Amino acid sequence: MEYIGEHTLPGLAGRFFVSLALVSALISALAYYFSYTKKDKSYQKLARTSFLIHTGSIIGVVACLFYLMTSHYFEYDYVWKHSSLDLPGKYIFSAFWEGQEGSFILWMFWHVILGTLLMYTARKWEAPAMIVFALVQAFLASMILGVYLGDLKIGSSPFVLMRNTPENIGLPWTQVSDYLEKFPAFMDGSGLNPLLQNYWMTIHPPVLFLGFASTLAPFALAMAGLFTRDYGGWVKTALPWSFFSVMILGTGILMGGAWAYEALSFGGFWAWDPVENSSLVPWITMTGGAHLLLVYRNRKTGLHWSFFMVIVTFLLILYSTFLTRSGVLGDSSVHAFVDLGLSGQLLIYLLFFVILALGIFIYHFRKIPSAPKDDELSSKEFWMFIGSLVLLISAFQIIFSTSIPVINKVFGPEGILSLSDKKLAPPLEPIKHYNSFQIPFAIVIALLIGIAQWLNYKHTKGKTFFKRMLRSLVISLLLTLGVSYWFEFWQEPLYLILLFASLFAIITNIDYWLILGKGKMSFTGSSIAHIGFGLIIAGALISNAKQKIISRSDVFLSEDMPSNEHALMELSDSTRLGNYVAVFNGMRDEGGKQFYDVTYYSRQDSNSTLKEEFRLSPFLQMSDNMGPTPNPSTAHFWNRDIYTHVTYSSYLEPETDDGYRSEMEVDLSRGDTAIYQDHFVIMDSLRIKASYTEDTRELAKLRLTAKLRVVNVFGEEFWAEPVYVLEGNTLSFEDAFLDDQKFKFRLEDINTTTNKIVLKAWTQAKKDEKPFIVMKAIVFPMINLLWIGCILMAIGSGIAVWQRVKNR
Amino acid sequence: MKRTHIVIILIIAVAIGAIIATINDASTYVGFSEANANPNTTYTVIGYLDKDASMNYDARSNQFEFGAVDKEGIRKKVVYHQPKPQDFERSEEITMKGYSTDSAFVAKEILMKCPSKYNETNELEGYQTYD
Repeated sequence: MEYIGEHTLPGLAGRFFVSLALVSALISALAYYFSYTKKDKSYQKLARTSFLIHTGSIIGVVACLFYLMTSHYFEYDYVWKHSSLDLPGKYIFSAFWEGQEGSFILWMFWHVILGTLLMYTARKWEAPAMIVFALVQAFLASMILGVYLGDLKIGSSPFVLMRNTPENIGLPWTQVSDYLEKFPAFMDGSGLNPLLQNYWMTIHPPVLFLGFASTLAPFALAMAGLFTRDYGGWVKTALPWSFFSVMILGTGILMGGAWAYEALSFGGFWAWDPVENSSLVPWITMTGGAHLLLVYRNRKTGLHWSFFMVIVTFLLILYSTFLTRSGVLGDSSVHAFVDLGLSGQLLIYLLFFVILALGIFIYHFRKIPSAPKDDELSSKEFWMFIGSLVLLISAFQIIFSTSIPVINKVFGPEGILSLSDKKLAPPLEPIKHYNSFQIPFAIVIALLIGIAQWLNYKHTKGKTFFKRMLRSLVISLLLTLGVSYWFEFWQEPLYLILLFASLFAIITNIDYWLILGKGKMSFTGSSIAHIGFGLIIAGALISNAKQKIISRSDVFLSEDMPSNEHALMELSDSTRLGNYVAVFNGMRDEGGKQFYDVTYYSRQDSNSTLKEEFRLSPFLQMSDNMGPTPNPSTAHFWNRDIYTHVTYSSYLEPETDDGYRSEMEVDLSRGDTAIYQDHFVIMDSLRIKASYTEDTRELAKLRLTAKLRVVNVFGEEFWAEPVYVLEGNTLSFEDAFLDDQKFKFRLEDINTTTNKIVLKAWTQAKKDEKPFIVMKAIVFPMINLLWIGCILMAIGSGIAVWQRVKNR
Repeated sequence: MKRTHIVIILIIAVAIGAIIATINDASTYVGFSEANANPNTTYTVIGYLDKDASMNYDARSNQFEFGAVDKEGIRKKVVYHQPKPQDFERSEEITMKGYSTDSAFVAKEILMKCPSKYNETNELEGYQTYD
């Protein structure tokens, strides 16, 4: 059958490029293998050509999908699911990588860019490293293949037509040749998740996936080091790559935090969500690994650990891919991907590289040279080594807790190896759980960052060390005293120590950079990056520990119930929020968004006049698929942010034409009780009055009256009798009203199969009731330290990469 | 014994500590019957919205009440002292962290799983009427 109006060519081209990408990656891997074992130049040429074809195919895949999305070809499942006609052009990128398939493509795109770069710069490491690259790419290409071998699904293609998806195949409309013109559903797509319609979502995923992709280069080089048995040689080539990875992955993660802070309503930039954790953990191990590579380059020690950290980082990237894409996190995370039925394939991908990499590593383990002598206690390398191990253990703690759903799958009651009859759930208070480990780890790391800068490689004289340290120590102690006085940190000793440790890391690095390094370029990268890290910790600590929910009222609901953290604000009434007085000025409906304008005033103490400080407009994004999605609005000042978001709005309450709301619908049979607005509603009886036409004996009029007994909390009884009238084909209702309670009851329907009546109840909206919103407002002090720290860490790592590239 | 070995042993000790602490901190998924048996102990219950029970949000006292059915089919009233989550009626599955009392399950935190876009493909308008 010929379908009318379909554009099948770009889809076919896309599928062709995917297949070509898979085949060329495999050929490249094979040719590189022969080029390495046979030392034959012609194989190398074949391998390079294949990899370039692979690169071209991936770019072709990207182009095809972009073409489909920008042309709004909604006959394609991926286009229909992730975009719509009214989607602003700037979000077409977000729509591109909203789905699993698109994000796989994005990931592969970065791999080919980095792979091509590595191919021409790796020299003697080219062949073995590129085997790894090409194999990884082959696995990834298979994820978007979308073919069926019998019942086995291999990959999920973004180029599938909607009529060919498994859930639609065989449905009647797929047999209609002009279905695209006939059914309005195909005129427009279902649109992009409103939460992702944010500029951060345009830049966060590409940076994060570049970060993921960048971990492959050090891994491939480490593998190359093992293949070639030149166990130490790869380190110099891998160093710039690993610091590049630290920089990009770190930036990507923190951009995700910035998005969460700007667009999500949990109030903060980090929540220890499994999805966040699984991208943070590889960054932590890569940071440890990069520092170990540095130790090896300078002192030729700790090679085993360098290998281990670099390998584990890449394996953790694969593990986090498995966690977020297989659906295993379903119960514990709100923003993991939906399972596409690829979990088996993802597991094979993960296990293949885990077994291969760790197997080769263990095989070579005894042959990897280790330093004959122990590092001295006063040497820089010893403490950098300790720091890396602390990073490793910190990563381990996070990933172990995040893996509870996986542990359930394996050891739980329905698991493969059932050891426990209980299904484990993630910690009830995740933030407290993670912080109890991560704060001590952060303290150790921050202190080591400060101390290790003043140590020399090999050996440091005690006297010089203390002389160098003294100034930083005194300054940071004084600063800690000042900050903790200002922000009242005395009550929490652990926070106080962390505050000191982070300030110490900042001060020593400034000192080191300006005094010892005299601002020289070779000192700049590491100093700035470490100052950035210190600022991130300090900013996170102050803004989190000293955040103040100013919408909190002091009324406790009960002894162990927290006070109300949300303020109810009626239209144009003033509400006190901390030191501010806020007024809700009304709602504006603009292009599917409900903006709620709130003006904050400060109170002048001397006279009681109010001075306007700033206005915020948090909004609810209305969408057919997702319902109203809250989006916060934040006022930024140099020393604090005021974050505001609407948690409830009376504008959302459906109201009937005659001014009734709080609808309840309930099925009742005789004697049943429903509870409505603190009243019992008891179905007492049903009176049926039917009359028939004389000639045909057909039902002419049916009159059903439900007798309802309504009992209030004092036991007083009221009666209501809603009536259902069917006259010929006309249906009408005689609603019953209770004046004291302002209730309205309607006998909506009769369910003849269950013998129940369908009853609807409403309450009259008070005439003088003003519209209101329920709002949460939080002050985050000094959160800018965190963002400045992020920028400095990125710049510092960037300088370090540039230095290493230059010194090759 | 080398100094690094001592360090590694220390690290392993911390790792074991982390495992034990995690297992202690972890809660378990239970049904309402077990939560009812141990009132005031916090549990994680996965259930569904009970469409037959009344749902009410009182904005002034910031109290949201609804009925839930757990996976074993046991019904219970749930009280949540937070604003009613947006689009609550459409939730497919509700994860509730909280404790049982005589009259209701007091939820401290609620996570909802909403129908994924995937399912909506089946609800394309029109195809049922056409032959």
